[in-house]
Amino acid sequence: MGAAALGNPRVRAALRLPSAVARALGVLASLWWTLAWMGVTAAILVHGLATGAMDARWLALPCGGLFVNLAAALATNGKLRRQPGLLVFHVGLAVLALTAAGGRLTALTGSVEVTQGGAFDPALVNAKAGPLHPWGLGKVTFVQGPFRIDYDAGLQRRHTNSTVFVPTAGGGWDEVTVGDDRPLKMFGYRFYTTPNKGFALLLTHIGADGQRRTGAVHLPSYPMHDYKQANSWTMPDGPELELWLDLPAPVATPEQPWSFRVPDDATLVVGLGARRYELKPGQEMRIGDARLRYEELRAWMGYTVFFDPTLPWLAAAVLVACAGLGWHAVVKIRAVAGDADA
Amino acid sequence: MLEDWTLLGAIALYALAAVMALAEARRGRALPVPAVIGLALVVHAVSIALRWQRLGHGPYVDMFEVLSSNVWSLHAVTLAGVLLIPRLRGLLAAVLPVLQILVVWLLTVEAQDTLFPVTYDTLWLPVHVLLGKVFLGVTVVAVGGSVVILLRRWAGTGFAALPSTKLLDEINFRLVLLAFVFECLMLAAGAVWAQDAWGRYWNWDPLETWAFLTWLAVAGYLHLRVTRKPPPEVSALAILAIFVVAFGTFFGMPFVSVAPHKGMI
Repeated sequence: MGAAALGNPRVRAALRLPSAVARALGVLASLWWTLAWMGVTAAILVHGLATGAMDARWLALPCGGLFVNLAAALATNGKLRRQPGLLVFHVGLAVLALTAAGGRLTALTGSVEVTQGGAFDPALVNAKAGPLHPWGLGKVTFVQGPFRIDYDAGLQRRHTNSTVFVPTAGGGWDEVTVGDDRPLKMFGYRFYTTPNKGFALLLTHIGADGQRRTGAVHLPSYPMHDYKQANSWTMPDGPELELWLDLPAPVATPEQPWSFRVPDDATLVVGLGARRYELKPGQEMRIGDARLRYEELRAWMGYTVFFDPTLPWLAAAVLVACAGLGWHAVVKIRAVAGDADA
Repeated sequence: MLEDWTLLGAIALYALAAVMALAEARRGRALPVPAVIGLALVVHAVSIALRWQRLGHGPYVDMFEVLSSNVWSLHAVTLAGVLLIPRLRGLLAAVLPVLQILVVWLLTVEAQDTLFPVTYDTLWLPVHVLLGKVFLGVTVVAVGGSVVILLRRWAGTGFAALPSTKLLDEINFRLVLLAFVFECLMLAAGAVWAQDAWGRYWNWDPLETWAFLTWLAVAGYLHLRVTRKPPPEVSALAILAIFVVAFGTFFGMPFVSVAPHKGMI
């Protein structure tokens, strides 16, 4: 039984729909409720703006209210049903809101840094996910290749071209170029480059037993934090080390165009307590029974990770809703244009 | 520089059109106001095109560019409105003086060369901007109708050449409905742009929140107008309120917010 039929008095009578239910639907369908729920929505938005802490979850309340209001209106308001454009717009909006809500429940947004020459590690993704997110990040595999970022004078970042290598079914690797507006798409996840990128110290720890472990320590984003290219790292079996990069000449030149690159003249300075050690790529130092080898300086790229399976459905709902509204507007404007010209 | 001189010439022509529109309304004798606006638009378009060619990007980045392009688009939509519905020509006397506020503001803003953020380098930006300009332009025409309704009610000004207050109120309702269509499309195009540029289609940043508040204000007016049929003066005040919110969203938030809309580098 469609909502349209429910609004028909004869159908209601045939169904013996209690008049109390009909009255309740009539009350719920009131456009005063529409205005009231819109007011609640506006109040939540203004509160979010005023406090600077917008929590969109609160919008579920007025959206739910508007959804009930619309459903009741569809059941009881013949005038709404007789205007197909308006009907399509409202149903489209309801579908849009429901789809967006579904999207929030399954979505994931996050960020991750990947070292050049290293593989993407899902465990390093700093993610915020909805409760129904299917967690398929473990299936994503790619290796970070080189990237190029040009800057105009004034530190204006131009396009980012980040090369990543994606495994193929045949056991090979495909080369894919990723950018701010050209995501890497794998298993529903989208990886977008960001302004966040910098230098990575590739270090090898050689334990007393001779076991070698190589890893990267990422320095803060460059050129955003060009004045503090430092980080700390605690050795597996030893003390915390202060690491910073001594750049004889800055890579970034704010006054003129430049390209992001890994400097070849940088020196790693290792702070251990009050002592300082300087290492060039390939050099190592002894710390207790272990050794620390500075392999080389690399780059790391920061990505935004996004997952929302509802994107195409959202786009479809928006298109349908806008088409309905446009149709309704054309009908209404045609009706009054003749009067105005008369 | 030709770019500056053409801009000044266009500003002078806009001012002339506004004065002529007021004179036309006062004397009741037709003056070539649409022709002067048309000429101003052509001259202004030359100025915008020269700047576009020189900088290599459209007028979207700083306050000067946004103001300049909006002065052009608001006059263009107003002119289109009165050409499509000739009986609304009298609205020019109400709309053009309001637009001169923007023109004067434009004169006070320094025209600096701007750098085009990489996140703006997408087809969706001009689509988003164009739809927004039509939304605001149609709203401005409705504002003109509202000003006339309020002047008739409170100042006793006639605007005899214009339709009755009742019909103007109906036309205003339809104009806001049309503006709403373009606002919905603008938000949709903006969401596609945001997904491309920042990896999310909506993030409730201050500008997005204000844009949604504007959407709510328009939707609220349309519902109020359909169900309660308030007196024309109340509707007119509601439209002015919508314009204030939309104006703040267009000309306020993009320049105080540090959100990505400002062009994150």
